[in-house]
Order: sequence, then structure tokens, then C-alpha cells
Amino acid sequence: MTAVVLEARGLVKVHGSGRGERRILDGARLTVSGGELVAIVGRSGSGKSTLLQLLGGLDRPDAGEVTVAGRPVTGASERALSALRRDEIGFVFQFFHLLPELDGEANVLLPATLPGAARGGVARGRALIERLGLRDVAGLRPHQLSGGEQQRFALARALVGDPSLVLADEPIGNLDAAAGDVVLDLLRAIADEGRAVVMVTHQPEASARADRVLELRDGQLVEVPEGRLVET
Amino acid sequence: MTGARFALRTAWTSLRGRPGRSVLTATGVLAAALVLGVAVTVAYALSTGFDRAARTADLPTVVARFDAEDAAKVDATVRRLPNLAAASYRYEQTDVPLSARGHATPEGVVEVVRGGRRGYAIVAGRDARPGLREAVVERGLATEWGLRVGGSIRVGRLGSVRIVGVSVSPDNVAYPLAKAAHVTLASDDRRFPVDTALLWAKDPSRSDVLVSAARQSSYGLRDLRFLTRAGVQALIGQAAGIVVALLASFAAVAAGLSGVLLGARAQSEVARTLDELGVQRALGLAPGTVVAVHAAHGALVTAPAAALGLAAGALASRTATARVLESLNELAPSWGTTAGLLVVLWAATVALVALTSAWPAWWAARRPPAALLRGGDVTSARPARRGTAFRGGLAALGARLVAARRVRFASVVAVLGAAASVVLLLLALSSLLQRLRDDPATLGKRYQLTTRLPASDRAAVEAIPGVRAAAVRYSADAVGASALGTPLKVIAYSSGDHTEFEAPPLASGRRARGPGEAEVGQGLADALGLRPGSTLAIQPLAPREVRFRVVGVVRALQDEGRVAFVAPQRLRAAGVALDGPMVLRLAPGADRARIARGLAALGAHADAVRGATGDSGAFLDVLASLLRVVAISVALVCLHALVSALALTARERRGAVATLRAAGADGRALRRLLRGAALAVALPAALVAVALEAFLLAPLVARGTAGYADLPLGAGPGQIAAVAGGLVVLAWLAAALTGRRLAREPVVAGLREEA
Repeated sequence: MTAVVLEARGLVKVHGSGRGERRILDGARLTVSGGELVAIVGRSGSGKSTLLQLLGGLDRPDAGEVTVAGRPVTGASERALSALRRDEIGFVFQFFHLLPELDGEANVLLPATLPGAARGGVARGRALIERLGLRDVAGLRPHQLSGGEQQRFALARALVGDPSLVLADEPIGNLDAAAGDVVLDLLRAIADEGRAVVMVTHQPEASARADRVLELRDGQLVEVPEGRLVET
Repeated sequence: MTGARFALRTAWTSLRGRPGRSVLTATGVLAAALVLGVAVTVAYALSTGFDRAARTADLPTVVARFDAEDAAKVDATVRRLPNLAAASYRYEQTDVPLSARGHATPEGVVEVVRGGRRGYAIVAGRDARPGLREAVVERGLATEWGLRVGGSIRVGRLGSVRIVGVSVSPDNVAYPLAKAAHVTLASDDRRFPVDTALLWAKDPSRSDVLVSAARQSSYGLRDLRFLTRAGVQALIGQAAGIVVALLASFAAVAAGLSGVLLGARAQSEVARTLDELGVQRALGLAPGTVVAVHAAHGALVTAPAAALGLAAGALASRTATARVLESLNELAPSWGTTAGLLVVLWAATVALVALTSAWPAWWAARRPPAALLRGGDVTSARPARRGTAFRGGLAALGARLVAARRVRFASVVAVLGAAASVVLLLLALSSLLQRLRDDPATLGKRYQLTTRLPASDRAAVEAIPGVRAAAVRYSADAVGASALGTPLKVIAYSSGDHTEFEAPPLASGRRARGPGEAEVGQGLADALGLRPGSTLAIQPLAPREVRFRVVGVVRALQDEGRVAFVAPQRLRAAGVALDGPMVLRLAPGADRARIARGLAALGAHADAVRGATGDSGAFLDVLASLLRVVAISVALVCLHALVSALALTARERRGAVATLRAAGADGRALRRLLRGAALAVALPAALVAVALEAFLLAPLVARGTAGYADLPLGAGPGQIAAVAGGLVVLAWLAAALTGRRLAREPVVAGLREEA
């Protein structure tokens, strides 16, 4: 097992106020090492996506601490969080979030154009397009691509910055079974390369590829024994 | 609940639910209304100023001036005139020294009025009463010298008299724009002669009949000259015509600009609320009700913002407008009239916004509710092109994001370009005013110095090194013999050839060569229906009429183009007393000091020639302050157009921006993105501005202002660079403002919206 990439302790997140207040996360803890693929499951509205956003510095917790690659997420300034996301974290979304004005390749290379991005991003992006089998469709715009192709471009975009942590929110939630299998294989491969991958999902076939499966229940993460089918 | 009540209530709830967006929309409406308020109130005040002042002052239909004569004798002649409603008489004494409060002028004009209609308006205090050493001073003099009712003024040998009133008479521009300052005294002494008759016609449209009859029955009156009300208006209007024409075109641009901005905003609002619209339709709301909700929404946002903007615009321009009107001896509209105008504008603005909000809603509401619930876009997707490579980084991406909505992009570029073209026009105009003041060449004058020497000294002057040519420039006032109310100026040179010293461009025909030929200004040709081959018959201050054959029409700017260039022989033969300065055309690089020494040796001194408005620096300052108000409001519109274009783009593309931020884009990257978007709008807008100014606005304004002359209103390279630079600075500013706000928004909100 390699070094710890992601560590979260005592995460609390409250939504709403007064009678509408809901404690989405209530002291959740999580540690993920490089090379590990962790699936987080749970019922709809249990706070899976919220947890992922806190881990990636897209949102701030009401209490608790998160560190990614040894760098603090909680309490960091917006500028530091931006740099952290650019250098250490790759996001994969259920709805891909590809920019419709740009073709597939341009979408992949987008993070490499950000101020402060590490050198070599463009070459890495092009290599990723080759590796994910997207060269033939790299000049097409998102609406001309299949769902699976779009998600593979999104995956390539997430990896352009060579992150140590990949956060995937329902990565196959919008794909058919065949396309979903390809994406899951890729996520597995990414983890096997030594990155930490955290995937939120409610699909059994996705959690079946994970090294560990955690269920978010009553605001806390609970380990699910290997081989048990989780009902979501 | 009725449909209207439901629409209003739903719209109100929607407004309160999105306060930030409502404020942004209201700010846009406010900016557009501010410009509209400035433009329309200024244009209205200036374009109606003369009529208002003439009405209030009871300006006579015709003013007849003649050498001093017994009042009873003149009255007996005047009473016999046809179409005469009333007449009154004055005696004018010129070159009377005036002084008060540390100011003094030797060029005072004292008008001694008798009973009857006065032909001026009292704007403070009361009218003077006979025999009480009371004076009414003209408003320009009162303002310039700080005179008040109750104070006193020294009037020539009369000594100190009490000021009892302040008057406005629109028969001339005000002091100090006019050289002479007017003071009015009253007298009931019947022995006092008169030299001015004010005539009011029963039917003002037939004033020519009155003038012709007065001319025919004027036996015994010497140096008789007539000036009709139309002639006065033509002369006075010349001073403000440029500004009025400019502001009228500006008002049209501002109105179109607000319409486009508001229309774009309404379209975006509907695109954003398609889901909500779909739910309303699925719940059974008729398309008409949905449209009513959006119209009500637009009207509710607009009503307070437009009221505020229009009122602020009217207030901002009021002082500057009042100063211009004061300089022209005209009156500002009353608060009631201005308020009425603003109410009409307000209603029109609210109606415009309601309509532009309703139209895209109606378009969208006709679609099936299912399509709306899926969040389809209002605009149809355009066919994609293959191979859109990513070059230029974030700035290029920003440009693409803003250009993605092609119709909106085009409209924002048009709005910004139109606003910038008005700024360009303002710069060109101010530079033209400067040249008119300082550069005689703007008027087609080729001489640089004048001096007081007789024509007989011409050879001696031409012998001075550096002097290329010299001649005496004669200038005589006259009226058209067939239209006695049409004043004109006859210009002749002792050398016989005016083109050596003054050569306005020919509009038609050829240059005058012989003593019987004349070149006339376009303004005079228009007034008297002249063209090459016509006969110009004029009545100068001489016993006989003089006739010339018109051989050319020139585009002269001087005296509104009501000028005629002739040779002096026929004028002399008619008994016209010719007088004027000697003008000197210098060789290139001539040593002016040496020429001055040469003239001094001849007992004369040299005066540098200035432009058309050499004595009206103060008026130019007043105009400049008015133009500044306009320019600032236009610059605000440019900034708002840019900020709202960026804000709308950022809001519509929150998902894209959130994706970028999730990938690590910080505030710097967002600003770079927005700068690209802003420049993508600003740079084509600069091109649009240059083209609009050069090919549409400048020719339109020049033609509307001075169709009788070539008015060089084209913007220079420096001015174009200044406007383009200004747009770039505004783009930078808009990107910074929007970027700051964007960076404060939570990333997850954008991601959720995109999902």
C-alpha cells in the first residue's frame, strides 16, 4: 500500500436552517491511499455528492478537516483551493460538463491552459486521448459524441493535470451498460497506476470494482463488507 | 383571481425570489433610462427654446430699423400697413458705457421703450416705469456681472439707475456671446425720436406682405432694414443647431440602445426560466397567462428603475442645458412640461420592456411543456462544425462563450458600437468647435493677418518680406431685394479677386470673374432660390438696389452661408459705403514678427485672424460642459453594456465556469476568461463605432446642422484611438467587476445548475 492521499476527519455539513435544518454529514471519516479505488454508496439524498464536493474543496464543511496529498483543504483560501484542484485533484461528473463550444480534444486540454498549470499538460492530454481510444472523435463537439465517449473525454480532462486524487460523482449514472463498463475499467486502471480514486455511485456494478465500499448512513461512513450487495 | 392579478403576483414573487438578478436588470434599465433622460430632455429644451422664448417674450413678426425719426410720423405710416395687429417703437443708443459691480463695457446698448407691446420677457422683477430712473437688464448681462433686482448699474451720462427687472429677448444671442450688453429704460416723453419699429402681424404666416407694404410706404425713412422672426430664428439657431442635431441623433441611438439591451435581457430571462415556464404550462396555465407573467415581471422591474434613471438624467443635464439656453437668450421648459415629458418617456420605457419581455415568453410558451421541462434553449442549436481547435487559451474561450449566442452578441456589439460612435462624434464635434474658434482655414479663409490700412497702401504692405498678397476686405450688410426679411452679407475685396484670400469650396457653377458676377453661399441660395444663372438682387444700406448674376454656389460656413462674394465696383456705384480691414496672406514660413515691424513702420499693427467664433470662448465652454454630461452618460452605458453582457454570459454559462473552477481556475483565470469575452465585444464594437460615425452619424449631423457648408465632422486617428482605448479600458474594468463577483459564487451551485 502506498502513502495516504486523502484524509478526512469529523466532517460535518448542515443544510437548511430552523425546522428545515438537516445534518447531511455528521462526523464522517475517510482515508484513501494511492492505488486505492473507493466506492461510496448510499440512498438518494444521503449526502454522497456533498461529501465528494467537500473532499475536492468545491464546498466548505461546517466542521472537520480534509487534507489532499498532505495539503489542507479546509481553511484554505480560494486561491489555494484553486491551485490544489489544478495540481492534485481531477473531477469526473455524471453529466460530463464538457463545454459545447469546444471539440473533445480542446475540452481535454482546457486545464492545461490555466495560469500556473504544470508544463507538459498538452502532451499528456494528447497521449490520454490516444490511450482512451478517442483520437478519431477528438475533433467532434460534445453533442456529436456518445455518452460513453463524452465521459471518456471528461476522464481524460480530469487526468491532464496528473492528479493524485480523482473524484468521480456517479461516473456511469448517465451511461448504458457497455459504456459504463469501459469507464469503470478506466477508473480501475487509473487507481492501479497509483492514484487515489473516490467514486460516488449507487450502482452495484460500479461498487463491485472498488477495493473498498463505504456506505454513507446517518451522516457517517460505514465500511460495507466485501461481497455484500448494497441496496441503494 | 383574475389573470392580471395572478400575473402581477407571480411576477412579484419571482422578483423577490431573485433579488440579485432583479437588481442587475434594474441597473441596466436605470442606465438606459439615464441616457434617455439626458438626451431627450436636452434635445427637447434646445429644439423648443426659441419658440418658447419668442412666445413668452411676445417677439414681433417683423423688426424694422431706420435712422432716428419722429415717433408720430413713423406711427402714422405704420398704422396704414395691411395685416398689422400692433406696433410699438424704441430708440436704441449704441456704444453706451455700462458699469456695475467692478465690470464695465463700452459697448452697451440702451433701448428706450415707449408704451405698447414690449417684445421681451421679464424673467425676474418687473418692467421699468417711465421717468423713474429704472432699468431692466438683459439676463446674460445680469448673469455675467452678477446683477440682481434692487441693485444698480451706471448707464453712460445718465449715471446710476436702479435695476428693477431682468429680461430675455430672443432677437439676438445673449451677452457676452453677443458683444453688446442690453439695458432697457422706459420713457413717455413724446419728443423722444424712435429708430426701431416692432410690428406684429395679424397673420404671421403672411409677414412678407407686411414687409413689402412697409417697404413701399417707407418714404422718408432712411437706412431702412427689416428682420423677420424667421430671420432671427435662423441666425440664433445657428449657434445651437450643431448641439441640437447631435443630441437628437443621440436620443435616437439611446432609445434604440435601451431597447436592444432590454430585449436581450428579456430573452435571457426566459431562457433561464424555461423549467419554471414548463411547470406553469404543465399545471394548466394558458400561454397568454405565462406571457402576462413575464410582461408583468419586466414592467415591475422597470417602473422604479426607469423613473429613477429618467429623473436623474433630466436633473444631471438641467444646469448645463440652462446655461446653453441662457447664452442663446432662450428659456428652459417649466418643471411641469419637463415632468410631463418624463412621464411620457417613463410610460414608453415600461411598455417597451413589458413588450420585449412578453415576446420571447410568447415564443417559448407555444412550445410543448415537455420540451420546456427538458430545459431546451430558446434559440435553436446551430449545426456544429468539425475541428474547432482550441487556440488562444482562456481569453479565446471567453470570446467563444460570449459569441455563442450570436443574436445577443451582435446586439451587444451594435449597442456598444452605437454608443461609442456617439462618443466619437462628440470628440469630433469638440475638435471642430475648437478649430472654428482658432483656425480661420476652417472657414475657408486663406489670410492670416489683418490690419487697418487703406487700399492705397496695398503695394507697400505687399513689399514687406513674407507677405504674399494684401487687399482690403469689404463687408456690407444687406437684405434680399425680393425677400426683405432675409439678411445677408456681401463680401468684396479691393483687389477684385476674393479667391486669393477666401475660397470656400464650390458646390456648383464656377468662380466669379467679372464685376457683375457673384458667388453665393449655399445658405443664401437656399433662402432665395438661387442657382448659377439666377439674378441676385440685393438691397444694401444704400439708396439703390444692386444686381449680380450668380455664377457659382459655394459651401461657406460664415453667417450660415448667407453670404455673397462679389467685386466691389457695383457696390461703390450704388453708393454703398465700403469699409473693412486690410487682410494679409502670408508666404509659408513667413516671419510674423518681421511683418509686424513692417506694418508698424506704416503706422499700423497686425491682428491675427481667428475663426468664426473668436469672441465666444465662454459659449464654447458652456457647450463643452453639456457635451461632457452627454459623454459621461454614454460612457456609463458602454460600461453597463459590457458588464451586463459579461454578467449574462457568466450567468448563462455558470456550468462552464464552474467546470473550469473545478479544474483549478482561480480568480486570475476567470478574469482572463472574462477579458477575452469583453474584448470580443469591445473590439468589433470599436470598428462599428468608426464606421457608424464616418458613414452615418457625421454626415447626418453635418447635413442637419449646416447643410449650407462642408462641416468637417469626421473623427481623426487620435480620436479613434482614444475611443478604442477607452473601450479596451472599459472591457478590462467590466471583466474585473464581473470576475470579482463570479469568484465569490459557490462552485457547486454552477455544477448543480449545469446538471
